[in-house]
Amino acid sequence: MKNKTSYAIAAGIAVIMIAFPAFLGAYPLNVARSVMTYMALAISWDMLLRSGQISFGIAGLFGLGSYASALAVLRGGMDPFLSIVFAAVFAGVMAYALGFVVLRLRSMYFSITTLALMEIFRIIIHNLHDFSGGPEGVVLPGVIFKGSASALYWLCLGGLFITIGASYYFEKSKMHLALTAIRNDETSARSNGVDIFKYLLIAFVVTSTLQGMMGAIQVQSYGFTMPDTAFDGNFTLLPLAMALLGGVHSTIGPMAGAVLLGVSAEWLKLQIPYGHLVVYGIIIIIVILFMPQGIVGMVRKASRTGRRSGRKAGASNE
Amino acid sequence: MANKRNATTIVAILAVVVLLLWRPTVIIYGLQAAGLYATIAIPMGLILGIVHIVNLAHGEFMMLAAYATYMLCQSLGIDPYLAMIPVAIVTSAFGFLVYKLTIRQALKAPELNQLILTFGLGIAITQTMNLFFTSQTRKMSFGYVSASIDIGELSFGVYNFVFVGFAILMVIGLRLYLTKTTAGKAALAVGQNPKGAAIVGIDVDKTYGSVFAIATALVGMMGAVFITRSAVFPTVGSPFTMKSFCLVAMAGIGNIPGILGASVLLGISENFLKAFRSLRGWSDIVFFVLIITVILGRSIKGKKA
Repeated sequence: MKNKTSYAIAAGIAVIMIAFPAFLGAYPLNVARSVMTYMALAISWDMLLRSGQISFGIAGLFGLGSYASALAVLRGGMDPFLSIVFAAVFAGVMAYALGFVVLRLRSMYFSITTLALMEIFRIIIHNLHDFSGGPEGVVLPGVIFKGSASALYWLCLGGLFITIGASYYFEKSKMHLALTAIRNDETSARSNGVDIFKYLLIAFVVTSTLQGMMGAIQVQSYGFTMPDTAFDGNFTLLPLAMALLGGVHSTIGPMAGAVLLGVSAEWLKLQIPYGHLVVYGIIIIIVILFMPQGIVGMVRKASRTGRRSGRKAGASNE
Repeated sequence: MANKRNATTIVAILAVVVLLLWRPTVIIYGLQAAGLYATIAIPMGLILGIVHIVNLAHGEFMMLAAYATYMLCQSLGIDPYLAMIPVAIVTSAFGFLVYKLTIRQALKAPELNQLILTFGLGIAITQTMNLFFTSQTRKMSFGYVSASIDIGELSFGVYNFVFVGFAILMVIGLRLYLTKTTAGKAALAVGQNPKGAAIVGIDVDKTYGSVFAIATALVGMMGAVFITRSAVFPTVGSPFTMKSFCLVAMAGIGNIPGILGASVLLGISENFLKAFRSLRGWSDIVFFVLIITVILGRSIKGKKA
């Protein structure tokens, strides 16, 4: 019963989101697109976090995806829509190759290496002047779908839905058990027959594919990119803060965090042109220190204790 | 083992001799850069070796100190070297406060939480500075910075050797502190085994706090020296956090003199690439490739053992 209502609510929200362009102007749609991009990145970051691995390299895969897509169109003459698929696959294949090396590392070594990989991607793109356009970046001949605001919105929404779907699959399938087991105790997971490397590799490749796809969607919707925007550290920082605030290890947490932070950031950006990101830093600190479960975790806890006390008030025998 | 080490030393000496004959500036500027890297990495090595926390806000403390120096020198019209001690004290107090208010609360949390916490601290500090000072670069110039020496046809700036001096002083000073004083010995014991140290009656929390204060004081000093040669802006510290971590990881956690060697390797290889005009843009990559190689090498070696 409860499941059925939540499905109905989810479907209702999805329909409303699909219908957004009908009653929103260009600016709100643009804001919605940036919130959705960050949301997808936050969810994908969280998907890998469920295995206990913190990636600081979201921006690396995102930038890789945007450049793969832009260069496929520019140098290979690929269809823009097809290039998004190409970029996603490219990021996935890169992650597969890198995963054999990177996924042998744990804790801070994994995190620092992902950060370093991102910088390496950026420097390579920066220096391959003839191929990638160097520091000035690349300009595409045109924006996908001729720049129609609603089409761009739907494209971004499509990317977001794919990400949510993948995350939901991770939550409901065997992946969930495997990743949680790895996160809780690797040794006991291994002794119970979980193929740790296989599951980590799947999670790493899937999340990288999603991040690459979002990067490609971003570049196709704006029509240009530069190393410093494609590999902007904010693409690592913001999703991380959003997922932490909303509550990690779930799909709904990063989504809640992204809506809250994404919309408020857009407002703050207008209020404080310099340094509005300070809010993100402070949120990360506060969440880590005082509410490691995030908002969703707190709400869940509150509703659980509320129900329990309600039951007690009803004087049921347990 | 001894043979292998001898062979490595010989190869290193040969490489240096060849470089000296071919491009002496590579060695000179490499050493100068190494001094700067080492002075900032050593305090991080101290924190990592004793408190066992990767402080991803490390470079930000240096940036703060550089700004503090800038303001002090601008308002009073004094030399950064005079401002060094007061700035070190202020930075140290700030570091101690940050430790007490945030990091201390997360000491028992999983390592990853600490990593995200200091990451957030770094962002908060950088962006606060961005809020007050905007991203405009600030620079002070001094006559003595451009001092140079001519040897034959070779002319090079000597001022940056200051950093080499500071690095060596820091290593000697920390060594004396950790082996000769009671507080230092206690810190070393806590670094090796916090539980054991607590059992024999060492106040672990106090030791952590003082180590943090000492490390941030050193970083603060270097922030004051840093501004004599470079412009400051809010994100000036971030690359140094990464570089410092790389150097500490390369030297091995707890091995402070090893940081000197690692810095020399990094400084010289960066300047080696800078010596070729067409490769100049790639010099930044050296460090990131180095860090990944070091981390992978260590993890593979660790698995074998």
